[in-house]
Amino acid sequence: MRGRSEPAARKDRALIFEVKGNSLDDGPGIRTVVFFKGCPLNCVWCHNPESKKAQVEISFDREKCIGCGSCLAACPENALDRAETSFIDRKRCTLCMECTSACPSGALSQVGRYLYIDELMAEIEKDIPFFRASAGGITLSGGEPALYMDFSSNLLQRAKLKEIHTLVETCGFFDYRKFMEALYPFLDTIYYDIKIFDPAEHRRLCGAPNEKILENFRLLTAECSRDGKELLPRIPLIPGTTATSENLTSIARFLKESGSARVELLSYNPLWLSKLSLLGQSAPCGSVSSPGEWMPVSQVEQCRKIFSDFQIK
Amino acid sequence: MAQRDIADIITHMALRTMALHFNYLPKFRKYLRTDDGWINFSLGMRTEQGNVRQCITFKDGKVRVHGDIPVNVDTEMVFFDNGTLKDMASLPPSEVLNLILKNKLIVRGNLVYAQIFSFFITLFVKGKIINMMKQQAHERSKESRERAVQPEAAPAPRVKKQLSAPARDPGVAFLDDPYLSQYSLADFPRLEKFLDIHFTRKPAICHERPLLLTGWFRENGFETRKDGSPWVPELRQGYAFKHLMENRKPIIRKDDLIAGTTTTQEIGVVLYPDSHGTMIWGELFTTPYRQLFPYDISDDTREILHHSVFPFWVHRNFKEWVRETYRSPLCQSLDDRFAVYFLWKTAALSHTVLDYPKLLKIGARGIIGEIRRELEKDQAADRLKKDTLEAMILCYEGLIAYARNLSAQAAAEAREEADERRKAELERLAEICARVPENPCTTLDEALNAIWIHWVGVHMENTNAGFSLGRMDQWLQPYFVSDLKKIRGRKKREEYIRRAIELVGCFYMRCTDHLPLIPDIGNYLFGGSSSDQAITLGGVTPEGEDAVNDMTYIFLKVTEMLGIRDPNVNARFHRGKNSEAYLRRLCEVNINTTSTPSIHNDEVVMASLEEFAYPQEHLRDWAATGCVEPTLSGRHIGHTNCMMFNMVAALEMAMYNGRHPLMRWDVGPKTGNVDNGSFPTFDDFFQAFCTQLDFLMDNSCEYNRLLGEAHSVLRPTPFISGLVEGCTAYGRDATKGGALYNSSGTACIGLADITDSLMAIKKLVYDEKKVTLKEIREAMETNFENNGYLHSLVRNKVPLFGSGSPEAVEMANRVTRFIHDRFGAHTNFRGGRYTAGFWSMSNHVAFGTLTGALPSGRLAGKPFTPGLTPEAHASRNLLDNIRDVSRLEPKSMNNNIAFNVKVVPSPKESHQEAVDHVYSYVKTYCDLGGMQMQFNVVSSATLRDAMAHPENYRDLMVRISGYNAYFVTLNRDMQMELIERAEYGA
Repeated sequence: MRGRSEPAARKDRALIFEVKGNSLDDGPGIRTVVFFKGCPLNCVWCHNPESKKAQVEISFDREKCIGCGSCLAACPENALDRAETSFIDRKRCTLCMECTSACPSGALSQVGRYLYIDELMAEIEKDIPFFRASAGGITLSGGEPALYMDFSSNLLQRAKLKEIHTLVETCGFFDYRKFMEALYPFLDTIYYDIKIFDPAEHRRLCGAPNEKILENFRLLTAECSRDGKELLPRIPLIPGTTATSENLTSIARFLKESGSARVELLSYNPLWLSKLSLLGQSAPCGSVSSPGEWMPVSQVEQCRKIFSDFQIK
Repeated sequence: MAQRDIADIITHMALRTMALHFNYLPKFRKYLRTDDGWINFSLGMRTEQGNVRQCITFKDGKVRVHGDIPVNVDTEMVFFDNGTLKDMASLPPSEVLNLILKNKLIVRGNLVYAQIFSFFITLFVKGKIINMMKQQAHERSKESRERAVQPEAAPAPRVKKQLSAPARDPGVAFLDDPYLSQYSLADFPRLEKFLDIHFTRKPAICHERPLLLTGWFRENGFETRKDGSPWVPELRQGYAFKHLMENRKPIIRKDDLIAGTTTTQEIGVVLYPDSHGTMIWGELFTTPYRQLFPYDISDDTREILHHSVFPFWVHRNFKEWVRETYRSPLCQSLDDRFAVYFLWKTAALSHTVLDYPKLLKIGARGIIGEIRRELEKDQAADRLKKDTLEAMILCYEGLIAYARNLSAQAAAEAREEADERRKAELERLAEICARVPENPCTTLDEALNAIWIHWVGVHMENTNAGFSLGRMDQWLQPYFVSDLKKIRGRKKREEYIRRAIELVGCFYMRCTDHLPLIPDIGNYLFGGSSSDQAITLGGVTPEGEDAVNDMTYIFLKVTEMLGIRDPNVNARFHRGKNSEAYLRRLCEVNINTTSTPSIHNDEVVMASLEEFAYPQEHLRDWAATGCVEPTLSGRHIGHTNCMMFNMVAALEMAMYNGRHPLMRWDVGPKTGNVDNGSFPTFDDFFQAFCTQLDFLMDNSCEYNRLLGEAHSVLRPTPFISGLVEGCTAYGRDATKGGALYNSSGTACIGLADITDSLMAIKKLVYDEKKVTLKEIREAMETNFENNGYLHSLVRNKVPLFGSGSPEAVEMANRVTRFIHDRFGAHTNFRGGRYTAGFWSMSNHVAFGTLTGALPSGRLAGKPFTPGLTPEAHASRNLLDNIRDVSRLEPKSMNNNIAFNVKVVPSPKESHQEAVDHVYSYVKTYCDLGGMQMQFNVVSSATLRDAMAHPENYRDLMVRISGYNAYFVTLNRDMQMELIERAEYGA
């Protein structure tokens, strides 16, 4: 099959791994969230590991498998083997997706599809009555929407024509000028992730430097406050990694200096571990302390206090 | 005869032992004799294979056993096999009932004799059975504790938070904050006390009504008068009703502000032996110990019912009247087997709403006056009209007599009362009952007492199943306004408003003073249902204006504070007329009560009734009845729950060429064998399904017609006829079509399961040709155990109703259209047409247990989805569900629908946000043209915790499908059904 991977530069289509309606956690009101596939960062704890690669992937869920063998018969490459722990030999697999269409249970599934803007808009427009009743709208998330700058710009403009509230969730690793030209004018709200303040640590755990992220944030804060747009910094609390008092204090100080008075702390979600195995990957060791457990409320409260000490709520 | 079968010999010996005891021991023998003489009947017992054939006869005090069954046996019990026979002897009563339900034991002939026989058996083994039941109860509570999955964290305590109103509606005259956020239950100690009684007091069976009536009938004759001339049924009922009302005990509940009770018990079970009352005969000893909804019964009551009441009614009840008059027609035999339809008319014709504005305005005297004027005016009136109107007058005289007795009682209690406050209240009650309902009402407390006293009368005449109160907010507002206009000063007005809330609260709690009689088998069919006395709020006035007023919000406040299942509160939301503030309040009350009110899209409900061309001002006065169904208040006998109809049975019968698998009965038309290519196209198969539906519809309508006739003969209802427009002028009883409008409403069950099954067949067999119809039939027979691949395929690769598939929605519309058109072509006994509804009470669970595996992949015995709610796995996105349901054609659903949604506010969410989200769902659903919606705002974790610790959740209310129930009182299947319903964040 063609087009398993293509440059992210196209204006008319992009690689999307989920369009999730009725989301109540990604901005005001009832929202439809468009999850882009592909991210410039590579955070070890990423809670959407299926969003990292900007290419189609295949996922296998052993719990759903009924062992009917339909996929084995369908695979032209002999890339499937029950004896293998990951089931799929990803070196042999050509992502032809014969197995996923043969699978009756959904145990084998394709992660990510290239969606044309018209298809995506049609999906979104169904939800407009709900946006109206709830003051909701669309949220571009990922992955990183800014990785698909032209498509995202196109999408946001189309949404604005329909008077839909728009919000983007970004990791901040983008070209500032392009962002300001292509996305910013069509955005009502920006959720901006800041993870690790120390540049070396950031490079080690997130796979990229953070100077640009912090600089972009500083500039954007000034711009947003001038234009009256909402910019909300968000910090994922990863035990032993981002959720250290040193890191959080540095970020709090940075936010204060940048003129930001608000922050949202995202408490740690351990479900990424099980998602990883679906993609045939294993967890990196040692990066997160007690990675399988939810964070106790008391710990979240301690983190929150660090920010309130800087008058950031 | 060849060698006798050992099972036959054992059965014979057991019956012989029984006969010996009755013949020789006085303590048994006394039960053979009643106020109507000896109990005489014969009862045969046999197995389907015929290896057992025994008969026991009771005749003039002699009991005999025969080794064969005569052809004219009164009642016959047919057992599936020896095993079932053995089960019958060894299982506890609830499981014996299950045998009947599951069609392993079939009872033919007069069912009351089977009840008497069962009562006789308990005379021998009651000690053992009761011990067994107690033991079971103990084990069950132990087991549910062990088996319930503990939630990850204990669910947060349920706290009622409250917003205040963002704005005042134009119809609100006096309330500064229509949400009445300053009040909570703690402000009303009187109501707190009543609520505590409601949740802790075990209901008790009351013999007052049946004893007084039976006594009167025995004295004055039933079919004929003492002089041998035939009774006009209306007149007979009129005299009997008057006698009952004059002689029943006038009771004022301690501390109540509303006078009168339906029974002599604190919470009483009202008995109607002319409908289904005798169905409890076999349980008279065991009912206090049964698992679900146990009733207390005194020794005195038991003896009275057995000796003085029930024997009179063995043949004089709706079912047996039809059986004897029409010689066990097929349509009745189908109903007796539970699996394809259940006719509510076997118990009641109650589902309607009376003309209460008229009662309040002119009083019982005024009504009598109108009837007399009609008699004078209509010189050409026939005999029946004269008798009918005479009967109505007798009834209203009876009502007045009861109110006067209450007044005297209140006055007497006031004289004895030491507490000054209560003394004043009793004096006020004495005053009120002396005036109303006899005379026109002038104040709110008079109006509420007048309605309640009349309501008591309604339930002395009509079975307490779905009789509904109607548009209480509209009808009471004038009295509220006129009271307040007389009061000056902010503080005094506030005190009055507090008092108004308390009064309405007392009225609600009065409505909980009675329960329908549910024989244990009914607990599996309709578990947890109370009388379903629906109240309807909001909407528009008959003139089409915004109807939301002060009383609307007072009722909502009371609904929220009390959080009780009955009255069943329904709210009309009229887009463009009713305010956003009102809709938000409905959502907030729903969140705070976890399950009520049910919300109706006013315009769409009215549009669904377009075909009847009702005058607009009548249509706009519609009110929900029983669960959700529309009745045009005060002029419409719509018996809106005449039957629960299992659409899925027709699908099974189409798959098995007319055979119903559970009944093992080739009863339907031969529509073709799926194995040999009888259905070349999907439409051919659909046609077979329709043919089976038609067969079942024809039969259910036929039975409904016969039962309608039975009602008109056995129990005409002159009392309510006096308050239904049309009956007086036409001179005919409501049971004979006297109302201005007549119809019968059906509840068609399993729409989502049918649609999904048809989609599976269409996609996989015909469109994609992945499997054959034969393979599907085989998978159904083996419960998919032979074909996991197919099961997985139908569960995952077929676009389902509720998934956002236009094709599935069209399939559902195709089914509802057919059902509506064909039901609509039938005429009922009263000359009205049928309407089609898609809600289910709890029968989606009961019918589910009686249905095998389906092409949709739903496994044998599993519940159907409630109402027309999509399958839990149809979509992870609630919006898909909402959109699909809103696309169903209203005109095919003219007896309304029940769309259940379970939402779980996340702990992160504020109360305001939770209200906003639920509001957005409802608002959009209405904007899109949806008809009705109801939420359960509770998480599965909470429900599981409630299963493990029922003692902490006695007041946890859930909406089943159209009615509310307390979760901890439900049977296990229903509890699991609620837990497994799709759950969405809000």
